[in-house]
Amino acid sequence: MIADILTGAIRSGTSVMLASQGELVSERAGVINLGTEGSMLCGALGGFAVTVWSGNPWLGTLAGGICGLLISLIHAFLVLSCGANQLATGLTIMFFGMGVTAFFGKGFVSQQIVGFNPVPIPLLADIPYLGKILFNHDPLTYLSILLVPVLWYVIFRTRLGVILRAAGEREDVLFASGINPKLVRYLAVLTGGFLAGIGGVQLAVAYTHSWVENMVAGRGVVAVALVIFASWKPIKAMIGAYLFGAAQALQLTVQQQGMAISPYFLFMVPYVLTLVALLIVERRKQSQTPEALGKVLAGSG
Amino acid sequence: MSQTAVIVEKKETMSQQAIEKTEKPNSLWKRNSSWLIQTAIIIAPFILFGIFLTFYNVNPIELYRSMVATTFGSLYGFGEVLLKATPFVLTGLAAALPAKAGLVNVGGEGQLAIGALFATWFAVFYLDSMPAVIGIPIMLLAGALGGAAWASVVALLKVRGRLNETITSVLLNYVAVFIVGFFVHGMLKDPNSFNWPFSPEIAYSLRLPVINGTRLHIGFVIAIILAVVVWYVLAKTRLGYRIRVLGSNRLAAERAGMSINKMYFWVLLAAGALAGIAGMIEIAGIEGRLRTTVGTNFGYLGFLAAMMAWNHPLRLMATAFLLGMISVAGNKLEIFSGLPSSSVNILMALVLFFILGSGKLVKR
Amino acid sequence: MENNKERYLLKTQGLTKVFGSLVANREIDLTVRPGSIHAILGENGAGKSTLMKMLYGVYAPDGGSILMNGEDVELHPPTKARAKGIGMVFQDFRVVPALTILDNIALSVEKGFTFNRKKLKQRIIEVSTKYGLEVNPDAYVWELDLGQRQRLEIVKVLLAEHTKIIIFDEPTSVLVPQEVEAFLNMLHMLRADGYGILLITHKINEVLACADDVSVLRSGELTYRASKEEGLTAEQLISAMMGNKQLKSVEKASKVNEKSQVALQINNGTIKGDYGEFILQELNLQVKKGQIVGVAGISGSGQKELAEVLFGLRGLQNGTISVAGKQLKHDVKAFLAAGVSFVSEDPIKESVIPGFTILQHMVLDGMELKHKGLGIDWKAIAQELEQSKEAKSLALADSDRRADTLSGGNIQRMVLTRALIRKPEVLIISYPSRGLDIGTTRTIQQQLIELAQQGTAIVLFSEDLDELFKLSDEIVVLAGKRITKPYVTTSTNTTQIGQLMLKGESA
Repeated sequence: MIADILTGAIRSGTSVMLASQGELVSERAGVINLGTEGSMLCGALGGFAVTVWSGNPWLGTLAGGICGLLISLIHAFLVLSCGANQLATGLTIMFFGMGVTAFFGKGFVSQQIVGFNPVPIPLLADIPYLGKILFNHDPLTYLSILLVPVLWYVIFRTRLGVILRAAGEREDVLFASGINPKLVRYLAVLTGGFLAGIGGVQLAVAYTHSWVENMVAGRGVVAVALVIFASWKPIKAMIGAYLFGAAQALQLTVQQQGMAISPYFLFMVPYVLTLVALLIVERRKQSQTPEALGKVLAGSG
Repeated sequence: MSQTAVIVEKKETMSQQAIEKTEKPNSLWKRNSSWLIQTAIIIAPFILFGIFLTFYNVNPIELYRSMVATTFGSLYGFGEVLLKATPFVLTGLAAALPAKAGLVNVGGEGQLAIGALFATWFAVFYLDSMPAVIGIPIMLLAGALGGAAWASVVALLKVRGRLNETITSVLLNYVAVFIVGFFVHGMLKDPNSFNWPFSPEIAYSLRLPVINGTRLHIGFVIAIILAVVVWYVLAKTRLGYRIRVLGSNRLAAERAGMSINKMYFWVLLAAGALAGIAGMIEIAGIEGRLRTTVGTNFGYLGFLAAMMAWNHPLRLMATAFLLGMISVAGNKLEIFSGLPSSSVNILMALVLFFILGSGKLVKR
Repeated sequence: MENNKERYLLKTQGLTKVFGSLVANREIDLTVRPGSIHAILGENGAGKSTLMKMLYGVYAPDGGSILMNGEDVELHPPTKARAKGIGMVFQDFRVVPALTILDNIALSVEKGFTFNRKKLKQRIIEVSTKYGLEVNPDAYVWELDLGQRQRLEIVKVLLAEHTKIIIFDEPTSVLVPQEVEAFLNMLHMLRADGYGILLITHKINEVLACADDVSVLRSGELTYRASKEEGLTAEQLISAMMGNKQLKSVEKASKVNEKSQVALQINNGTIKGDYGEFILQELNLQVKKGQIVGVAGISGSGQKELAEVLFGLRGLQNGTISVAGKQLKHDVKAFLAAGVSFVSEDPIKESVIPGFTILQHMVLDGMELKHKGLGIDWKAIAQELEQSKEAKSLALADSDRRADTLSGGNIQRMVLTRALIRKPEVLIISYPSRGLDIGTTRTIQQQLIELAQQGTAIVLFSEDLDELFKLSDEIVVLAGKRITKPYVTTSTNTTQIGQLMLKGESA
């Protein structure tokens, strides 16, 4: 049972993880995007739809990423070019995403696709116990795991990462170095939207092979919360996402085992867990918030 | 004596700061043009949405026309719009009041649900045989209590845990729905329902009285009264003044000796109570029983209405009315063209996009 | 054969900058020679920083020209100035505190998306050791004190490609007298290596100590130009800087003696910072009625936290604080009730409420919020304000003006009026004249003295030693997480205080 939960943790957590990594980039640059939920929804529907039409899940993945990116473009435009409040805009995008996907998704609700299936890695998947947990996942999950060290390296070891972080800490310093912080933020937000879109695709084309209205069910918001929990560090965000995934997998396992716990109670666990995680972390993380973001969260952005 | 010296010196030197920060008087033209811009902002999304509709063979002009006709053409139609607008006013207040204190409360959704839960619980278990005059006010209080209690979670997380209220309130919305689900599958399940997940119907005496010829119940009056009360408190009283100071500059509020945490806490609880009343009104006015889908999206739509009204409680009544019109139009849309009624959510989001995007144009 | 005097790195001719109706710089002619230190001298508001901003490319000139290598050049925006070899060490450092020194330097010095960490680290160490500017590339900037941050800025400028001219904007304002010596030594080294150095300052003694050329600005115009060879005297420089107007000097007559009552006292206090770190320990402070105690210290020595404790905004970890003999808890309301008023060091951020009028500000810990039934009686409040003498003597602007449209000076007047109008027993005031013109500064200083004469105890935080000496009866210094004993102003001097600021009393 534990093995099932752990496997499910990774598989179920991937969508959240992708969105978190993307949101991490965006927040490092100083923009919080609650519309991540909208990006994930649009990515899920876009990816699903294109997979239906083309029969190729990879094409669907690309399409989903682009859908997520387009949604986040609205957020970036309103926040960066029009000066709108970040939290309010994100929420509106979330609502917009919910509306748009409910509308366009009606026709896809009972469609079937040939999506991504778990691909066991030869040799590694045969390792007892660990093999099944780590090396038997769909391609998007593998990609998402690879993304983490890459992102870590870029953010902390390259000048691109310095530029990104400077945008989120002191944009005037960045400007004085001849780089336009607005442009950096735009790109950061779009990256976030793209990754969130792919997260949505994983949900509809790999984790499940279906589209259901509002299927993201808050994972986008959880992703945003997790980024804060992770102190804006890619590896910690990954752990947080998998914890969330584990809570969800736990719920499924409990149901399968027929234990007498109300399903509604179990549905709550992942969200409550996220809140608890935030609480625990809040104590010590004040100093690590990117400065520009701190202002937004305190209520002046 | 020192005054003359000051004047002389003022004329001779000007600091760099004074140069670069020249003082701006308030201009009359600016204030008038902002009205024009604001109207244009509201109209533009309708045009955009109209274009969108034409791709689906829907005549937008016809739709808008019928929207206006229904609203103003008959008492019933007008009542329908007010009916839809009522919860928006309350959940809008639940967003606008904390906004004046500098908080972003998006938990109206969940606070409404828990308010509805409390109201139904009381109705089903305690108030079954009460006359309306006693039962309804108690139900109202129960709803307010439920919403306030749920909001207190957000408040405590903010005040004690220092967690951002936007994120926590959205997450808690999802939890609230599950809680309602838990109850309607459990203790509040209607024994006669063949396992459908909803509560028993509440007693007829507890239903809100209705205006003849419409479905409009007095909940609408309650909402208006509350909106006016909130407006008065914010604009005219010392408490309202303090709330507005807190919302505009938290640091200044601290230095004036205000207890910030206490204010955050009680403002959020008040907001929750307002949303909870909306929940009660949904049950006692329309649904008659508790379902997991009670008030879906009302919280977010209220938030939208509040943003459209720049968090002003009186303007909120107008924007809630507007959203009510659109909502009713959505139903019509579904009947006549088969497009899902949720399509109008897209229109509402567009309106808000324009408002958010115009922030720089309309100086507040 | 070119005479060494005629070679120049940069020359301006008739440089002019206008803001609306104000001429910030009028027809400035300036020459920067290689291997020289050129001081730009002037009072606050004379136009020095505008001139520098034009040379560094932040502003484009409205008239006149800039020549380098015999050609007219355009230095706007700053990237162009940098490309031409002009580097600037700012007064407010352009660094990102959350990043390391290495990353900060990589940001401004390197190009492209990646960089060779090892190589850059080496270069940093090379340059910093050469000029005595030790920095540790892996340290985070937020850990550094101001002197160290300045060193980082200088290393940054030195590492940038083809830097030939370095502009320093009031560099010694963040340093203590002993650090200044090391700084001037570094300038000499840079000069020896051929750099052209522009030093913006208002400190005459520094100019006399190291400048080869001096240009004096007053009210936007060049009033005096000389070089060391021609001979520089303090008197000439002062009169060129100040002109002939007699500024009303502030008179001080203290009535405080041994028998005066104690208005404010802290006993054996400990203050902890926001992250649990120790800011000040063994804190003992006593302020008598009618006394002005000046608090000196290098920026970041705990002034902000101490001021907050004195106002009840922050609590003491240990020890007690009492006002007029009564011990108070950490509660702003209690301090307000005890008659303590507070003027913040950053009123724009901490006191101004966007959208509110001046009148609406007055009732916040100032005037009483009168009510009429359920509502607020704004009319009565406005009347009371108009009749108050504090508003008159501080020349407060119209009370229905929005506070967020006011200039810095007017905001300061508003905040001060508010603090004074309630006739406080104790006034805590931080950096009252920061960034203000001379006129407003004098007014405020005069008000403070009058207030003390009427019996108010004042705690004055300032980074301007002259101001502290002018106004205070006693001076205490914050250094090394401790507070010194009070030094009577008339028995000490700026050097001694400077020494204390750097080393504390244990030295």
